[in-house]
Amino acid sequence: MGLSPPDDLAALADSILERVGRDRAEVVVVEHDRALTRFARNQIHQNVAERSRRVRLRLMGDEQVGVAEIRGDMEGLEDRLIASAEAARRLAPPGEVTPLPRPDAGSDGPVAHTAATAECTPEWRAEQAAAVASVAAGAGFEAFGACETSLTHTVVVNSLGVRRHAESTSASLLCVTRGESGWGYAARHHHDAGRLDAEAVAAESVETCGRNQEAEALEPGAYAVVLSPYAVADLVGHLADLGFSALARQEHRSFMRPGERLMSELVSIADDASHPAAMPFPFDDEGVSTRSVTCIEEGVCASFLHDSATALREDLPSTGHALPMPNTYGPWARHLVVAAGTSSPDELLAECGRGLYVTRFWYVRDVHPLRTVITGMTRDGTFLIEGGRLGRPVRDLRFTQSIVDALADVRAVGRERSIELDEGERALLVPPLCIGSFAFTS
Amino acid sequence: MKDIAELALDIAASSGAAYADCRVVQRGVQALTVKNGSFAEVSSFEDEGVGIRVIVDGAWGFASVGRVDADSLEEAARDACRIARASSRLRRHPVRLAATPVAVGVYATPMERDPFEVSLEEKMDLLIRADEGMASVPGVTTHEASLEFVREHRFFASSEGSEVEQVIVESGGGLDATATSADEVQTRSFPNSFGRHQLCAGYEAIEAMDLAANAERIGAEAVALLSAPPCPTGRLTLILDGTQAALQVHESCGHPTELDRVRGDEAAFAGTSFLTPDLVGRFRYGSEQVSITADATIPGGLGTYGWDDEGVGAQRTVLVDHGLFRAYMSSRETAADYGWSSSGAMRAESWNRIPLIRMTNVNLEPGESSLEEMIATTAHGVYLETNRSWSIDDRRLNFQFGTQNGWEIRDGRRVGLVRNALYAGRTPDFWRSCDAVAGPSEWRVWGTVNCGKGQPGQVIHVGHGAAPCRFRGVAVTAAG
Repeated sequence: MGLSPPDDLAALADSILERVGRDRAEVVVVEHDRALTRFARNQIHQNVAERSRRVRLRLMGDEQVGVAEIRGDMEGLEDRLIASAEAARRLAPPGEVTPLPRPDAGSDGPVAHTAATAECTPEWRAEQAAAVASVAAGAGFEAFGACETSLTHTVVVNSLGVRRHAESTSASLLCVTRGESGWGYAARHHHDAGRLDAEAVAAESVETCGRNQEAEALEPGAYAVVLSPYAVADLVGHLADLGFSALARQEHRSFMRPGERLMSELVSIADDASHPAAMPFPFDDEGVSTRSVTCIEEGVCASFLHDSATALREDLPSTGHALPMPNTYGPWARHLVVAAGTSSPDELLAECGRGLYVTRFWYVRDVHPLRTVITGMTRDGTFLIEGGRLGRPVRDLRFTQSIVDALADVRAVGRERSIELDEGERALLVPPLCIGSFAFTS
Repeated sequence: MKDIAELALDIAASSGAAYADCRVVQRGVQALTVKNGSFAEVSSFEDEGVGIRVIVDGAWGFASVGRVDADSLEEAARDACRIARASSRLRRHPVRLAATPVAVGVYATPMERDPFEVSLEEKMDLLIRADEGMASVPGVTTHEASLEFVREHRFFASSEGSEVEQVIVESGGGLDATATSADEVQTRSFPNSFGRHQLCAGYEAIEAMDLAANAERIGAEAVALLSAPPCPTGRLTLILDGTQAALQVHESCGHPTELDRVRGDEAAFAGTSFLTPDLVGRFRYGSEQVSITADATIPGGLGTYGWDDEGVGAQRTVLVDHGLFRAYMSSRETAADYGWSSSGAMRAESWNRIPLIRMTNVNLEPGESSLEEMIATTAHGVYLETNRSWSIDDRRLNFQFGTQNGWEIRDGRRVGLVRNALYAGRTPDFWRSCDAVAGPSEWRVWGTVNCGKGQPGQVIHVGHGAAPCRFRGVAVTAAG
């Protein structure tokens, strides 16, 4: 992989700031080198690489703000960017403009970064795919999946003196395994590609697939469940989107009631961008240091996430959870960490007694946001739990369930956590959970 | 653009590519949003780069770069070939492509008024008036009006001699009004949810939406929903408006008729399909009322173009013919597996992504009924409008959808607004229960701007022609 030296990106950002000549401007430069090898039926069928740079300028003045962004290193980039942002600013209707943040005392670390990940080659990714396919083929199955590595440089500067830079890496390997009549799944994510362990990913997926053959239909209804970390990540990601943002509270659409216990005392959830296992990253899209925020503490609604705009309305400091500003979405959790419990995998099954084990959810969508009701399907391995032990496979089921109600009924929390990436590619460090009742509807 | 593409193809050929294609893409997006009486966003996005796709040693490689100069192109073309060689290490069968005529030509979206020539003042004035209309309704707590315009200039060339140049223009806009109470949050959108309705068209598409004139109405509907009774529960007759019918087609017919899903190419992420090739020409997908096409030639659709991103000409494919499953959307590679020709449905989000089989405009063809007639001949049921939630399994069989608005129907009349409506079913059972589709006068092309697929992810804009339609004995309930 080859990206511009960080100093070059900072120099580009500084050059734009200088040319703008305004006292309120922000420049964000993000450069990506990303490659992904995809396999299906034990063969590589798609294999791609991308090198790109995005430069974003936010201009403010006269109670107006304009934004321009360019992806690609085109001729006259600085002129075009400045002209577009200025045109947008001049025509924006005057109104309340959230001020740019000032520098804070935060450092540009910790960051999820491993130099070796940035050096991964297409041949290395093909080896990972081959290793997974070999294990699957050895079991008589077919493997489908993807191996991805990326390097990102991020620079945020503004005319009030904010200057942030981070160089981050990430790597993912996921595998779906197909047998005669059922599937299995496994995935690993880390900033160090050397920690992905293709054989372990394949073995887990093959093991689940082997158990998930000739599944039988099960009558829908309420069942106790043990949710794997893959499934818990879906629940927690949706919960955060539905209520952890201060904007959601300000617009009266958050389920959170500060100080009130809504969930089991076994449940604590924070957004912690400095946690070493949660793909740490030190600042947000405004260059504000991202603070650790406990949103749910032992089942009690605690604090909200802020960007500059929501913080200004409440006369609070931003917690450093901004998306590119201005936006209508509000603050966003990117490093969700669920507190570990004390239970081993066998103890979770024993606690459940009789119920269902869910490997993975799929196509989870909000149904009633204020009541945190979501729906989705189980996928790639759903099993009966009988007598506190994993039993026969059952066909995939649809669930329609309030997340808050489910987390109020947590009986046990696993002691081992794993890092997952949800559909928005945010990191979640989550344990498996045993939940007393979960509604399967079809 | 032509020089750039030819240079890339030359380098790919000299690096060992048996086949190569190159896409040079320039994209401009203008977005404007007014929220709660003040502007939220006035922004522009420009995008430029090159994607080079090759076959070397029987395997695919792709590299892309956001810099259009000779050195960068040479590096990207060589990277693509190296990546293809790496792919060939785990490839049992060489890639085969179905033959397609060499394509040469130009295409441009027909339009009356170039949206990029319309002043920002005019656009902002429209948004402010619409926002004020929603704000005028007591009880509306959050209101947002937005516009988006896209111009994409792309040049495709292949080592087989195809060279096509296209300029695609899209215009979109929408309103969202939200009302809240202690235990409810209700949003109404216009003309569609997901932020906006969008078409391949000029600014005339925005004018036709008449956003400002509908603002107060949707605000009032959001407030009324707060106190509306929950949707009734049971096996009911269900009538869908055109927007929800479009989404139903998208999820339960569009995706399962993508041939790459059938092959397993998407099994690791988006999933597979219940519509296996042995069912072509034999499987009763729906009732006689149900005919569904994939048509990249209809005016205005977000999947309307001259050629796809493999240089295959736009065409109309009958997917379901009076209920019978007939065909898939396909690419040159997937079609070759079955001895078919490509349906011309390969589309890439931009220069930095490979083309995948994507929906073009997947349309429920008009029938002979009307919304008025469907309601008048329904003893007990619900009429549901505008999607609010959607979920379907990885084979596209088990679905559950919710809508923003609902009306209970009794004895042929709408008797009252209902809230939090959900309905669920299995795809073929559902479409077989369809007994009426409204006619051409109520048929409209809708734009879906959030269709995701692939790894790395790609979001693409697709079209759906649809009209109100009716289904019998559907499981209906209320959320929450």
